[in-house]
Amino acid sequence: MIRVILFAGLASLMVALAVPPDATAAAVIMGTVKNEAGKPLPGLALLEKGEIHNNKWERGALVGADGRFRIELTGGGQYGLHVYSSGYIYSPEAVKVETGKTLEVKVILDPEPTRANTPLIKKAGFFPWEARQGKATFVKVDVADPNGDLGPQVLAFNAATKRAYAMDPPKRITDLKANFPNGVYQLEVDTSKGPINPRDWHFVVADHQCNTTDILSFPHEPKPLKVVGKP
Amino acid sequence: MSRRIPPLLIGFAVACHVWSGPTCARQAAAESELRAIAAEGERLWTQSPDPSNPVACATCHHDPAKTRGWAASFPKFKPLPPPHSRVMTLLQANAEAVERHYRLPNPLPAATAITAFLTAQGAGIPISPGISAGQPVFPARMRELAASVVRGERLYARSCGQCHKPFDLAPSATAFPRVVEGRAEPLEGFIERHQSLGQQLSWDGQATADIMAYLMSQAAGRPIGHHTYQASTEGKEGS
Repeated sequence: MIRVILFAGLASLMVALAVPPDATAAAVIMGTVKNEAGKPLPGLALLEKGEIHNNKWERGALVGADGRFRIELTGGGQYGLHVYSSGYIYSPEAVKVETGKTLEVKVILDPEPTRANTPLIKKAGFFPWEARQGKATFVKVDVADPNGDLGPQVLAFNAATKRAYAMDPPKRITDLKANFPNGVYQLEVDTSKGPINPRDWHFVVADHQCNTTDILSFPHEPKPLKVVGKP
Repeated sequence: MSRRIPPLLIGFAVACHVWSGPTCARQAAAESELRAIAAEGERLWTQSPDPSNPVACATCHHDPAKTRGWAASFPKFKPLPPPHSRVMTLLQANAEAVERHYRLPNPLPAATAITAFLTAQGAGIPISPGISAGQPVFPARMRELAASVVRGERLYARSCGQCHKPFDLAPSATAFPRVVEGRAEPLEGFIERHQSLGQQLSWDGQATADIMAYLMSQAAGRPIGHHTYQASTEGKEGS
């Protein structure tokens, strides 16, 4: 009997490992990101659940060097897809995917004509909350925008959990069209099940005029901004 | 039936060819002025008036194949950061974008010119409020638009209906912006300054969008615009 149970368990495990990851996803959004000349662009693809610009961030994916990304969802519906690549103006697009289906999108990004108005992520850090004995960690970024029109898109993405987050501004703001302040934005992360791995975290910021930072990835050291220029 | 050109208009056009009197001259001048406004709209579309921030509409929206259908798809629900999402007219949506991106103290003239440009670019496309070709239709947005049409119908009946039957007015509503005394006038501006409404409606308000949503629902299927404008970007898709 024990042998039968062990065999059944082993068989189930093998089947689970053999099944591709999207078999458990209720819906998938996948796509390619390129510039106008057709060059693949790496970056981030992040989703708002529901109406676009509602600031309710949910899932996301890294866009590979081949310009491809894939986001697995727990259900179909309406999403706001935002795609970012360093040196390019981010692309927002309202999309609809049906449960059980895969939506394929093609995103073309346009370079920022100047970086003079681009917000800057000056630094990022991870700070365990002592009062909660390491069960929570604050993820913080220090953001400055030269033309002072930051919006709610101060975003963090955890590539391990595939979760996207809007970070909390230095002061509470209810009108999302208002200009958000420069300063330290933060996010409280539950680390009761394991410590944070900084390598998993990526950050990007876009202001109300769509000026978009470079994506800040590990080791989270900002580099000088460059104008990519038209291809 | 709804796409029939009114016989009076045909007669007027024929008469203008046969005898170009002062009325026809005024009509030609108005057409010419409107083309100039559309040209100004195209300039604002492709070039930011703020040299320190060169991001213009066309920086991202440079494909005429995609933007050509915009004018005919308004009024529609515009998703904006909460709590600002609502049904908007094309002019209102343009004004919101102009204010945000170009930071002009008075967005109305630039928004009117851009509206004239987009309307001319999409001239002849059947009006389909809330629906853009090639874009998914979102039920929640269509419900918001339907609610706006209902509000607009009530408001129209209360404020406009005593003098204007909607099926008389709807065709004219598709021909804005127009030129009045050398200045571009959007329908929203006409509604704002119309004396007999009994209440002041602002060009950028929800009530104005509701009235226009109702009128455009009556005009659905008719071609938008009343003249063509050969944009300099036409034929350069993706440029």
